[in-house]
Amino acid sequence: MTGLSALRARARALLARRGAVVGINRRNLALVYPNNARNDYPLADDKLLAKELFVAAGVPVPETLAVCDGLFAVPATIEALRGQRDFVVKPANGSGGGGILVVGGWEAGRSCWLLAGGVPLSPVTLGRHLADIVFGVHSNQLEDRAFVERRIVPHALFSSLWADGLCDIRVITLRSVPVMSMIRVPTAESGGRANLHQGGLGIAVDLATGRTFRALHHGRAIERHPESGAPLLGLELPAWPEVLEVSRRAARAVPLGYLGVDVVVDRDRGPLVLEINVRPGLEIQNVNGAGLGPAIARAEGTA
Amino acid sequence: MQLSHHGKVALTITALVGVALGLVSYKVSRLGYSLADVLPATQYELTYALSFDGHGGDVRVRSFLPTSGAHQTVSDERDVSSGLHLAQAMEGANRVATWTGAEVRDGSEIRHTFKVLARRVSYDIPPELPVPESYPPSVAAYLRPEKAIQVDAPEIGATVERIRSAEGPLLERLRKIYDLTVALTPRPFKGTTDALTALRLGEASCNGKSRLFVALARASGIPARLVGGLIMQPGAKRTSHQWVEAWVAGHWVPFCPLNRHFAELPERYLVLYYGDESLFTHTKDINFDYRFETRSALVPSPRAKASFTFVDVWGLFDRLNLPFSLLRTILMLPVGALVVVLFRNVVGMPTFGTFLPALLAAAAGETGAVFGVVAVVITVAVVAAVRWGMQRLELLHSPTLAILLAAVVFSLLTTTLLADRLGIAPLTRVTLFPIAVLAICAERFYLSLTEHGGRAAGKELAGTLLVMLACYILMNSLALQVLVIGFPEVLFLVVAANVYLGRWVGMRLSEYRRFRGLLRVTP
Repeated sequence: MTGLSALRARARALLARRGAVVGINRRNLALVYPNNARNDYPLADDKLLAKELFVAAGVPVPETLAVCDGLFAVPATIEALRGQRDFVVKPANGSGGGGILVVGGWEAGRSCWLLAGGVPLSPVTLGRHLADIVFGVHSNQLEDRAFVERRIVPHALFSSLWADGLCDIRVITLRSVPVMSMIRVPTAESGGRANLHQGGLGIAVDLATGRTFRALHHGRAIERHPESGAPLLGLELPAWPEVLEVSRRAARAVPLGYLGVDVVVDRDRGPLVLEINVRPGLEIQNVNGAGLGPAIARAEGTA
Repeated sequence: MQLSHHGKVALTITALVGVALGLVSYKVSRLGYSLADVLPATQYELTYALSFDGHGGDVRVRSFLPTSGAHQTVSDERDVSSGLHLAQAMEGANRVATWTGAEVRDGSEIRHTFKVLARRVSYDIPPELPVPESYPPSVAAYLRPEKAIQVDAPEIGATVERIRSAEGPLLERLRKIYDLTVALTPRPFKGTTDALTALRLGEASCNGKSRLFVALARASGIPARLVGGLIMQPGAKRTSHQWVEAWVAGHWVPFCPLNRHFAELPERYLVLYYGDESLFTHTKDINFDYRFETRSALVPSPRAKASFTFVDVWGLFDRLNLPFSLLRTILMLPVGALVVVLFRNVVGMPTFGTFLPALLAAAAGETGAVFGVVAVVITVAVVAAVRWGMQRLELLHSPTLAILLAAVVFSLLTTTLLADRLGIAPLTRVTLFPIAVLAICAERFYLSLTEHGGRAAGKELAGTLLVMLACYILMNSLALQVLVIGFPEVLFLVVAANVYLGRWVGMRLSEYRRFRGLLRVTP
């Protein structure tokens, strides 16, 4: 009998806590649909469109070196990049990191670039890659634009977490008010992708202090990096007030009310907004060890 | 977080449910629709399988074929005889079939097949109904003795005296005769038993009991006759059956003293002939053998088709010569889609696309669920392999899809070819699968494989197949199909359910697992 009543008490507690956790149905109906008009989605999905709005609103973003918006523009883009070092080629509407090239150096003797891994990249190969992007090979649509950005040099704290690429900070905002945040860290296991389902790390950041307080790997709370052993908790993020500020300003720059803003901290330029997402994922709740519900309610109180 | 339009949504759902229920009750109360008619009926397919050795000479086989009436409807009759000629003639109420052939070889066969839809009939005999003084001449013939029905034998007369079945109203007399024949010890069929032998032995099989019933009825002044037929059961058998009919106020009313049916004929009884006949007569010395093969299938009740005529889509499809299977597939798609929505939004099971599982389930109507799943798995595997091979060519999206379509066509043809070789008849019908649906399914699998990895893609494929099976079970329910055909407004309920689910903010079942760490009570 006591077992049964204990079970009932547990079920009651579970139902009580359920209100704090936001599921996909509730995210879509209560957060995405009322705050994000569907015809505004392209402003977020197309990274170039978003970037134009950010630049106009004075939100710091990575420097754009070139835009290639058609097959005819490919030769000019190649010429503009000749001799350049440290840049990244991206499709405007890519997803899951497809079609991204990270270029490190330039070898004047062979007249070719070197990819981040040291593999040479000839102008012909780069031209073909740009043409592929323009034809929509990496974005499942009929045509797309390619753009070239200055490669970001991550702040030391982030390069200590993952040396070979970028860690970004995801800040969820509701009507420009930050609600919850985390750092997404790629691992060797995740193949350099910051995807939490594929073995990346999620590290929760306290909004008020900018300190990390919880880390998750494959759904389990951890204290140290599973590969390097570096401590993950109690880290103080650099320029945290500025990170929140650029997130707010990025959210204000677009007519979208519920967003996931991805921010990186450059060693020299400080926080830069990489991109925004209109349907930010819900795994951030597991990373923070708390549901979005109360945080959303607080944000609605202040917004 | 307050949901807007709450009132609008509630109003829409109420209106949809109201209209649906209103229409249903209008049809039932005013148009004579019966909800019971949506239940399917059992249709039997019977085959006479006759075999004999003609020794190169003349062969003649005579038998009876069923006719349609109040109890049974016979349709789709066809005859496969190896070189024999079939002639049919009505002899009284009986349809007599005669197969004749010359120079008939050994090991010859006749297969005669027909479908039967039968229903139970029963009669109420008024307790006070008297036995008439006289009968019309055609009926009076059924009072006379026959060779194996010894109406005028002294022992029959004495039995009538003893049980007093020649006095009182008709029902009482029939009840006494019925009780006596029922009480005879039953025994398995061992050739023909005449009425007198059955009485003397006190035991008999169906034909002995029936002959005694007829003899006693006739001796008690009630016209009666033997009925020959079959009890329809799926399988093959040689046993036929005999029961009786008595003339009651202008109707031939059935009785089966062996299986205890008083004034009723069960659905499974098939009437083949009337009178003391033998089911097969044939040329001597031809090593004649026979077998009755029966299969059963559920079909829409004929009463539903006859009465569901308010908006007669059924009749429309008949007139346009469109198959019934198409009609039910179309009408069941919204139901299947609702199943998918439930699985995706309430259970949280990943599937390829919103409606692919429902479309696949509709297609699996041609092959059956198991082979439908087999077909999907084969196609997805083949196409994913082709797609993997094409990946290094880095083609654009549309030409890629066009090539995948060709791969689907090839894999379907190959599957059909192999299934034919291996004798798996249902699997040969995979070519009826909508090819584009399979191509899209395979493409989704490949995209998921490359973007989310093998585990996620496998999960989605398993989810798709599982939801497809759930859709199949529901969409292939004949009762549900006839319900939607007769009451298409039921689909308003489906729409109402979708409106509700479209505003449902509850957690998906899978999310209870995903966020279990957040829901657990902290100690």
